[in-house]
Amino acid sequence: MKEPFWKKSAIFQRAEFLSARDMLQRAAAISVMFLLAHLAGLREFTSVLNGTIGSLALGWNLSAFLAVIYIVFYLAFVILVPVLILAATLLAVWQRFRRKSPP
Amino acid sequence: MKPRMKRIVTGLAALMIAAVIWLPCLHLFFSRPVSDFRQDQGLSPKARQLAARHLQLWTDPALREEELNKMRVSNAEWDFMGRSFLVWSLANMSLREPASKPLYLRTMDQIIDETLRLEKQEGMYFFLMPYAKDRHYMAQPAHSLFLDGEIALMLASRRMVEEKPEYKPLLTDRVNAIVGRFQKSPRMLLESYPDECWMFDHCVALDAIKMADCLDGGDHSALIRDWIAVARQKLVDPKSGMLISSFETDGTPLAGPEGSSIWMVAHSLELLDEDFARDQYQRARKELGAITLGFGYAHEWPDSWKGEANIDSGPIIPVFDISAGSSGMAFIGAGTFGDDKFLASLAATLDFAGFPSRTVGRLKYCASNQVGDAALLYAATLGPLWAKVKTGARQ
Repeated sequence: MKEPFWKKSAIFQRAEFLSARDMLQRAAAISVMFLLAHLAGLREFTSVLNGTIGSLALGWNLSAFLAVIYIVFYLAFVILVPVLILAATLLAVWQRFRRKSPP
Repeated sequence: MKPRMKRIVTGLAALMIAAVIWLPCLHLFFSRPVSDFRQDQGLSPKARQLAARHLQLWTDPALREEELNKMRVSNAEWDFMGRSFLVWSLANMSLREPASKPLYLRTMDQIIDETLRLEKQEGMYFFLMPYAKDRHYMAQPAHSLFLDGEIALMLASRRMVEEKPEYKPLLTDRVNAIVGRFQKSPRMLLESYPDECWMFDHCVALDAIKMADCLDGGDHSALIRDWIAVARQKLVDPKSGMLISSFETDGTPLAGPEGSSIWMVAHSLELLDEDFARDQYQRARKELGAITLGFGYAHEWPDSWKGEANIDSGPIIPVFDISAGSSGMAFIGAGTFGDDKFLASLAATLDFAGFPSRTVGRLKYCASNQVGDAALLYAATLGPLWAKVKTGARQ
């Protein structure tokens, strides 16, 4: 059976833990999850931060749950994603430098 | 070292270096010049966008009902205070932008009329939290200074922008009733809830009295002076030197100095006693204000006072002890006293963690609510109304 084309792509192949590619894959995954949460309109539920219910129809518990999901992915997107991309860049530069330098 | 372990150590080191680079830079993506939030003349871009959202709420009854109902589930006071802050903001906006005055006055009148109707129709408990009914007010007949003071200041603010003859007797009656109760009270402390008095409400009520004096030629300067003397003597926390936020009718403290109260108190005092007001702001700024990695925020209590999160403080974010209520109200303090560095850092935090949502020139903060956004709008526009009262100009 043929593998789907996206499984052959290097981007989707499992990378070694904490390698530069692993970091970029994690950054991409977080970004996609945040984008989905954002497009789903979960931002509206963050009013729970000041004690106001996000939606009268959904009630307190579900509103708070959706708010937590959004906040976690937002913070990951603005704090963790740039750190992962920067770290991946640093690693790539470091590895290139090591390859070039004589043993 | 094994290759796997070496890779993990190298990866962790890269992550640490990246975090050290990124975290101090993060605020740069959210920082704007202070003029983006507040300007000396005219309206700032943020004020204009926030105002557009509020004006939409008062032209779309379904949207307004949805917003107000969401707040009333937690706190009926917010419904009322959202109205107050918006009316006070619109008064300042009318003075800042005379071309739009007719629209702003129309909205102010709509809010005031509906608030008075609800108060008359549903009674004063409609805008109070349920525990107001648990006990009897010490002073009878029952009155809440919270409602009377803010309604009086709404009426006075509207009349300061432009006289409306129908509101003159309403203001006079409300102010006379407050003054009468101050004169009858042995310690000049009036209830907002049964045997529960709030510094915030006293300062707002005294602002309304001062404004009414300016409008109608009265003179209650002795009453204001005497009340400030009482506050300085009996209602100051000895450790921080800040005014406490709530107390019983005999002056016994109920809560200590609180961020959700003191920033507005300092602002209100600025109309009554500038030196005392600035002293209170500076103490609050030192004890409660903080800037970390370029982001400004405020604590609810000073280090010397231990309190628990409540409906006013909002949830307290651990580690940094950030209070949403105090941080929101800190905009009003910083705006009043021209603390641009703190104001700009607060605004950066707001754009970072307030979850702004913009639609066709209208701005709301999702992590806030209608009253929170109205308080922010007030912080972005305050100034001209106080200045007009200070100069004694009636129209």
